[in-house]
Amino acid sequence: MQLIDHSNNSKSKTVGRALAAATCALLGVHATGSLAKGQPGEWDVETALLVYSETDDRVQAAEPVISATRNFDGERKLNLKLVADTLTGASPSGATPSALPQTYTSPSGNGSYEIAPGEAPLDDTFKDTRVAVSANWEAPINRDYAYSVGAYGSKEYDYLSTAVNASLSRYLNNKNTTLTGGLSLGVDLVDPVGGAPVGLSRMPLNNNKSQADFDQEFAATRDSDDTKTMVDALFGVTQVINRQTLMQFNYGISYSSGYLTDPYKILSVIDDASGSNYGGNLVGGDGNPVYLYEQRPDTRLKHSLYWQTKYMLGNGDVMDGSYRFMIDDWGITSHTLDLKYRWQLGKSYLEPHFRYYLQSEADFYKRYLTASEYNSGAPVMTDASADYRLGEMTGLTFGAKWGYRFDDDRELAIRAEYLIQTNDGDQGFGSLASQDLYPDTNAMWLQLSYSF
Amino acid sequence: MVLFATLFCAALLSMPAFALDTGPAPSVNLPTRDGKISLSDLRGKVVLLDFWASWCGPCRQSFPWMNEMQAKYENQGFEIVAVNVDQKPEAAAEFLSQIPATFTIAYDPEGKTPEAYEVMGMPSAYLIDRNGHIHSQHIGFHNDNKETYEATIRSLLRARN
Amino acid sequence: MPDSRLFYRPLRQAQRVLMPIAFLAATLLTAGCSNLGVKPWERDLLANPDMQLTVSGVDAGLDDHIYFSKEASSGGRGFGGGGCGCN
Repeated sequence: MQLIDHSNNSKSKTVGRALAAATCALLGVHATGSLAKGQPGEWDVETALLVYSETDDRVQAAEPVISATRNFDGERKLNLKLVADTLTGASPSGATPSALPQTYTSPSGNGSYEIAPGEAPLDDTFKDTRVAVSANWEAPINRDYAYSVGAYGSKEYDYLSTAVNASLSRYLNNKNTTLTGGLSLGVDLVDPVGGAPVGLSRMPLNNNKSQADFDQEFAATRDSDDTKTMVDALFGVTQVINRQTLMQFNYGISYSSGYLTDPYKILSVIDDASGSNYGGNLVGGDGNPVYLYEQRPDTRLKHSLYWQTKYMLGNGDVMDGSYRFMIDDWGITSHTLDLKYRWQLGKSYLEPHFRYYLQSEADFYKRYLTASEYNSGAPVMTDASADYRLGEMTGLTFGAKWGYRFDDDRELAIRAEYLIQTNDGDQGFGSLASQDLYPDTNAMWLQLSYSF
Repeated sequence: MVLFATLFCAALLSMPAFALDTGPAPSVNLPTRDGKISLSDLRGKVVLLDFWASWCGPCRQSFPWMNEMQAKYENQGFEIVAVNVDQKPEAAAEFLSQIPATFTIAYDPEGKTPEAYEVMGMPSAYLIDRNGHIHSQHIGFHNDNKETYEATIRSLLRARN
Repeated sequence: MPDSRLFYRPLRQAQRVLMPIAFLAATLLTAGCSNLGVKPWERDLLANPDMQLTVSGVDAGLDDHIYFSKEASSGGRGFGGGGCGCN
């Protein structure tokens, strides 16, 4: 699902997504939670509809999901999942707001869009539908071992993502300890609208020139379509602590290589020469402001450590807490704390949820480039991105889920979450410093689900 | 990093330990719904001692099969005693209302009997011969194994003192 | 807002800290955890569907997708283990 736009940032997570999809299907292996669920010869189906909305006319999305598990004899399961999402709305392009109106070329090269003075530059040219399918098979090998295999594919008009995954689990200490090793391999094919732009090349603008000149300039900034490959490995230990407590520790490592840049994101070049335009957009030879397409490194190595605890109180309420630490070779470190409390109310439950996220900025994250750094078309750096998702960020999520259990098989639930995301970083200089370079992102999502 | 992965994989793939319970069956004296049951009273019969709980999914499949076995071999001296280990009797009652049992249900909420039998997984069943010795231990319930299981019961029934 | 330098760790430096921790944790857990846990017949609470590590795969999938479309991190969550331990 491309919630913001076709950022490769979100695409590079497809393998995490594939693993997550496999994970979700693998859950409950040899340990079917519900009594009636998991009975051989039956289907367990979970359906849901998610509606997502960001403030300030940004992204809106609707996402139906259906996940069906067919149970076979001997604790063997096949899970099939289908997700579709439709996305509309605008997301930040990476450019900075200005005291003057700004015009940008749309990704296809066939149009442009305008941003008013002081307004955050949002690229509104995306309306997209994506479909993703996944299949996962899990089965025990004997009392001590279980395995799973899965495959994933998703398609939208400018992106194809595929992955396969496999895992092996080993039980120890009378199934009090579970060791799991998982591996996922993925290949993505990127086919951006208008073709992938050459990194750190100047965005052609059709003002002050003939259409022929513009077309030539546009063609010169195009690169070929590209691919991305990903290898993910996960090592985990799940341990029963006591009758009420369960813990899990995971170490994950992920390596991506290929085209990791977001083809639709740009950076503004800001004039740092003293004078009347100090802090304003640098004006190029054609009389137009200078914007550059972003460029990210072509490899990324991430490590993560994850710890989760579940604890059941005497009255049946369940506390769920987890912490994840992530570090990568782009210079980003992040901390994620997630807390839930499931309050049992007879046939129904209420589960408040809180999530705290903290992220440092990538080494090559630049809110803007200065004219000196731009160096008249020969930038001093090889990589730069103004994508706020690679910058310093704090995210707070507050949510709650209410569910009603008709019986062991059927449950209806409604969930609402509200995210407040704030960013920070370089505050600019000159006239740029009076602009809001880091607007908050607030988003809300509502999910209705029915399991049977 | 490589060392870590190797150690993890070694732990993942190391050989399991295996323990099979044989020898004289530990004594069982437990309450049932209507009275009491004692394993010593059943000497001379072939006994299937099953440990089950309301939260155990495979037990839902083992019960219909055990009903079938009880009915089929009762007159040859076959007896099933299913020991419930739920900590709350209401949970067992709810299970039984959905999946009734024709065989004897005994209750051991404190878990002393499974402890004595060194139960290693749920459900667990012990086949006890006519002399009160454990013949075999079965961990888990699998539909695939029903045939061989029944054959074992028949062979134990054929052996007389 | 915190200074990003507070959180900036050169990867190799972090790896020197991370690897031993992960290694130690895994070793301790796999070797030293034989004392922790419950008897197979004491898994009533663990068998409760609310005690699965991920209760709703659909919820987790939807949220994971939202967060890695808006953040630089993803994944980490694992699978397997817990539950009734039957069969």
